[in-house]
Amino acid sequence: MMAIRELKVCLLGDTGVGKSSIVCRFVQDHFDHNISPTIGASFMTKTVPCGNELHKFLIWDTAGQERFHSLAPMYYRGSAAAVIVYDITKQDSFHTLKKWVKELKEHGPENIVMAIAGNKCDLSDIREVPTKDAKEYAETIGAIVVETSAKNAINIEELFQGISRQIPPLETHENGNSGTIKLGKQTTQMTRRCC
Amino acid sequence: MERILCFMRHKIPTKERRKENLPVEVETSQWSGDMSITDVASSLLRCEETFSACLARINSVVLQPLLQSGSFEQAKFFLLLNDHFQVIWDLTEENYRALKQTVTETETASVHNLYLAWKADLFLDAYIQYFSTFASCVVVQGFEHAARNKSEVWKSHKPSLQQLLEDFSPDTSNAVSLHTVLHKPFQDHLQQYSALFSKLEEIKTLGPDKEAIVNASRQFAKLRSFISQALDEAGLTRNLWKSLSHKFTDVLCTPERRLLEDSRNLSIFSSTGRSDRVLLFHDILVLIQGSSLQSFDLKLVWVDETSKETGNHTLRVRTPEEEFFLLAKEPESRAVWKWKLSQAVRQALNGKRDFPLWSHTGEGRAPPRCRFSTFTFRADGRLKGAAYDGEWRLGKPHGKGQLTWPDGRNYVGDFKDGLEHGFGICLVPHASKDRYDCYKCHWREGKMNGYGICEYGNEMVYKGYFRDNLRQGFGILDNTSSAKTPFKYTGHWENDKKSGYGVWDDKEREERYIGMWHEDQRHGTGIVVMQSGVCYRRAFHLDKMVGSGILLLEDDSIYEGNFTRDLMFVGKGKLTFPNGFTLEGTFTNKSSQGLHTEGILNTSGGEPDDTITKLQLGQREFPVEQRWEGLFSQFLEFVSSGGQGETEESFMGFHVQTSKELRKSQEYLYCDRETEEAPKNLLDELLEHQETEALQSYLEEALKSSLHPLGKLLKALASAFQATYGGIGANKHLLAMAQEEVKHYAKEVWEFYQGLRDLALKVNGQPLLEDTNQSDLNGPALILPLILPSFYPELLMLYMLYHEKEDDLYCQGIVDLSLFPDLKLLEFLDVQKHFWPLKDLTLTTNQRRSLIKDRCFLSATECLQKMITTVDPREKLDILQKTYEEIEKTTNRVLEKEYSLTMDDLLPMLMYVVTRASIQHLGAEIHLIRDLMDPANEGGKHDFLLTALESCYELIQKEFRLHQNWEVLQSS
Repeated sequence: MMAIRELKVCLLGDTGVGKSSIVCRFVQDHFDHNISPTIGASFMTKTVPCGNELHKFLIWDTAGQERFHSLAPMYYRGSAAAVIVYDITKQDSFHTLKKWVKELKEHGPENIVMAIAGNKCDLSDIREVPTKDAKEYAETIGAIVVETSAKNAINIEELFQGISRQIPPLETHENGNSGTIKLGKQTTQMTRRCC
Repeated sequence: MERILCFMRHKIPTKERRKENLPVEVETSQWSGDMSITDVASSLLRCEETFSACLARINSVVLQPLLQSGSFEQAKFFLLLNDHFQVIWDLTEENYRALKQTVTETETASVHNLYLAWKADLFLDAYIQYFSTFASCVVVQGFEHAARNKSEVWKSHKPSLQQLLEDFSPDTSNAVSLHTVLHKPFQDHLQQYSALFSKLEEIKTLGPDKEAIVNASRQFAKLRSFISQALDEAGLTRNLWKSLSHKFTDVLCTPERRLLEDSRNLSIFSSTGRSDRVLLFHDILVLIQGSSLQSFDLKLVWVDETSKETGNHTLRVRTPEEEFFLLAKEPESRAVWKWKLSQAVRQALNGKRDFPLWSHTGEGRAPPRCRFSTFTFRADGRLKGAAYDGEWRLGKPHGKGQLTWPDGRNYVGDFKDGLEHGFGICLVPHASKDRYDCYKCHWREGKMNGYGICEYGNEMVYKGYFRDNLRQGFGILDNTSSAKTPFKYTGHWENDKKSGYGVWDDKEREERYIGMWHEDQRHGTGIVVMQSGVCYRRAFHLDKMVGSGILLLEDDSIYEGNFTRDLMFVGKGKLTFPNGFTLEGTFTNKSSQGLHTEGILNTSGGEPDDTITKLQLGQREFPVEQRWEGLFSQFLEFVSSGGQGETEESFMGFHVQTSKELRKSQEYLYCDRETEEAPKNLLDELLEHQETEALQSYLEEALKSSLHPLGKLLKALASAFQATYGGIGANKHLLAMAQEEVKHYAKEVWEFYQGLRDLALKVNGQPLLEDTNQSDLNGPALILPLILPSFYPELLMLYMLYHEKEDDLYCQGIVDLSLFPDLKLLEFLDVQKHFWPLKDLTLTTNQRRSLIKDRCFLSATECLQKMITTVDPREKLDILQKTYEEIEKTTNRVLEKEYSLTMDDLLPMLMYVVTRASIQHLGAEIHLIRDLMDPANEGGKHDFLLTALESCYELIQKEFRLHQNWEVLQSS
């Protein structure tokens, strides 16, 4: 029987960069789409295998509008990972991304895994943010970085696989470092279904 | 006397018809070969004719002179004897007439014509009565007295007497003659009856009536042995009274009392010392030692054989106050004594003698071990002078009973082996007569142990646990509000004194002390909360405040230092104002001059800090596991003691539906509270509901029931909780303590449930569940929502107080936002235009669309408003989810397609719904849900929705601060 770890993942980024599209693409073909409880595209879950564990992503969307920025801490508290999305065709959105990274560094959960997604890579002809800039920036903050296209399903799986890999494996008899990692009661039943 | 004479006058004419004096003769010679019923009838006819004549003579020669021979002590027995004599005579006449008719009028008689056989009971009864009275006459030596008193009368009657008695010799004394003539003819006559019955039984043509004949015949045989036994006993008894000194006969002699056995006759010795004589009467057992005697009521005598203590041939005799042995020399005499004692005890308990007095077979049943009787204790000790009325077993009060002491103390209830044990009510009168302490509680081995209620004469009431007659463990002491110093204490006790954690309400000062006690004094850390909302934490030493404390004032300023009970600052201290300024220095307080201080005012404090105004007290000082230990431990002990039904109440409180039942009379409590559902059923039921869903509904029912152990625990915890946090205790600085306590209760209730379940498994011989099987079931999380309703009002109040400031800000925001018409508000909140449910805005002729209010997202708004009607966090979260679904439905309707809302879309709409729902204490609600929801929700969709709601709440507080923005919007 595989252990299931619930991982809270928080989506950050300007409105219109396609945060939800990435998640929708990630979960949409998944067989437990109907079973998994969702709140529209605002809260979604997907379980993927990783090593000898199962990772159940609990993906929390956030509102990208400027006036709601101050609420973000309520959403990212307790997250194991944050996916910060920018639009490669909008330089502004990359700026916003940097602000998020800064805030997470200062106020976010310790050891939060950060993943940078440069969305809309299918529109590279009107690109404003060079891939190199993003890679270099990611390197300085130790974050995962991929350019994705929710529209064409490019690098979506890879993005989450990258997160999975960065999550430290669960030590036996220890329940991780953040409150999000736990072996809940529903999980045993689900494991039976998955395997 | 008058009545009897009338009766006689009426009878005499019939009897005087036959004056012939026929000798008493049995005509046995004719009876040979086969006889018919008719033959028997005619024999009987002759026999009755003769006897009737004989009775007539006895009546005139002996009985009437005896009655008229003046009055003396024994006269009443002669009168009675005469009554019974007349009854026998009447019956004989009646029988004679019936037989005569049969013989003359019918050719063949049947059994039904034999009055004697058919109405045997009447005959038996008449003879028994007659001889019982006759025996009493013998015992009181009536015939001797009569003979002495009226010797000249008897002298004149001597010839007549002589005629009546066959073997009469001139030497026979008058007394003996009287004695003989009044019993012998009867016995002879009964012998004739028996002879006739044996003839009857031989008749072959009796058919179905045979049984009745056999039966009657047997009864008459028994009657004959009864008579000879009764006469023997009477003779022995009379001889005993003659031989004993007056000292003893004055005490012992009554006309009804009969001697059954005498150690002079059948040797036996008592172990109580130099016992001269052991006498067994039909109602008492008597030991005579020298010139003193001890008597024991047979109803409270238990006899058994024993060889342990004193070797063989010993009988152990147990009585309420004495236990001794009877030693016999031979096993035979022991056997006879034992048999006689047992039979006598049994007959004494029956209240009447057997018929015949001793059954021949010797196989009489043993008397019961458990009996019901009354007794007054005489021996020194705690029972001296007390009267007991109730059930007994082996010489001790055992079962239900009532003890009344001469001083008016009274106990009604259960006993075991002579001591109060079980449930009982004890009244202890005060010196002033009209007041008394009433203890309704559980007893163990003579002392109050376990749960009880005491209503003291001074109007205080204690409800809680006792040990060895003293208050111990958890208990509530309350006095009525009309008392001089009204108070209520809810907490722990030791040796009758407040000790450990407890809550004290001083109703006069309107203060509550929550903290530690020692020997009735506040001692250790304590928190005092006051009606005004002020509270402080101090160290107490022998009821005095010591050291410095922390004082939290209503305006959120804090004083750290020394202060008096009336909140005067004295000595060094630091006062922190809500704006962050601090004043540190030495304070003095003189009533005339007000507050004086020398110190430093620091104004660099900057922003006021939330951590100070929301400071929480009590969590560290009073670890939650230890707070109500004395209460919970009783429930666990019930389990570890094996969960016996009869001990249930003593551990867990009374088995009553409502407290009203306890106020009913003590008789009611005593008699009717015993037939409870057996705990075995309870345990079986528990085992039948182990699957998660069944368990849930079972626990729900059990926790609601005031009779189920789980319900009792919950009720007790709720009373402790209310005592702490209800009323004055509603103070924001106690929220963390209260919240932690409720969560801990869930753990305790679950632990108790597990205890009961394991007990049930053990009782049923099933293996205990291994923990791993249960790992996917979070018990406390299951319990918490079920018990929450019991604590909800107090807890919600604490949340409201704690979040008062934020809720006020939010409320102002809501009030302002509520001024917007629907479309303005949607616009203001940045709800994207394509989601606006414009179709819902139906207009009447004089309305403008832009001014319509409270129409958009109405279903979602109404759904969210239902949140405050629920208690269970799970239900509140469900409502939240439904609210979301309503929003989704509305947008799907507007867009005319399925659409997954992103947070960018959803949050403004949710803001709109929250604004319109305008739930008053939303902050309190949100935090209560978050604190008390199942931790398994964390990170999940419910957590997400709650966070979304919380973010709306935060935003509305902040939007309020941007007040001017709306004015711009409103004016545009």
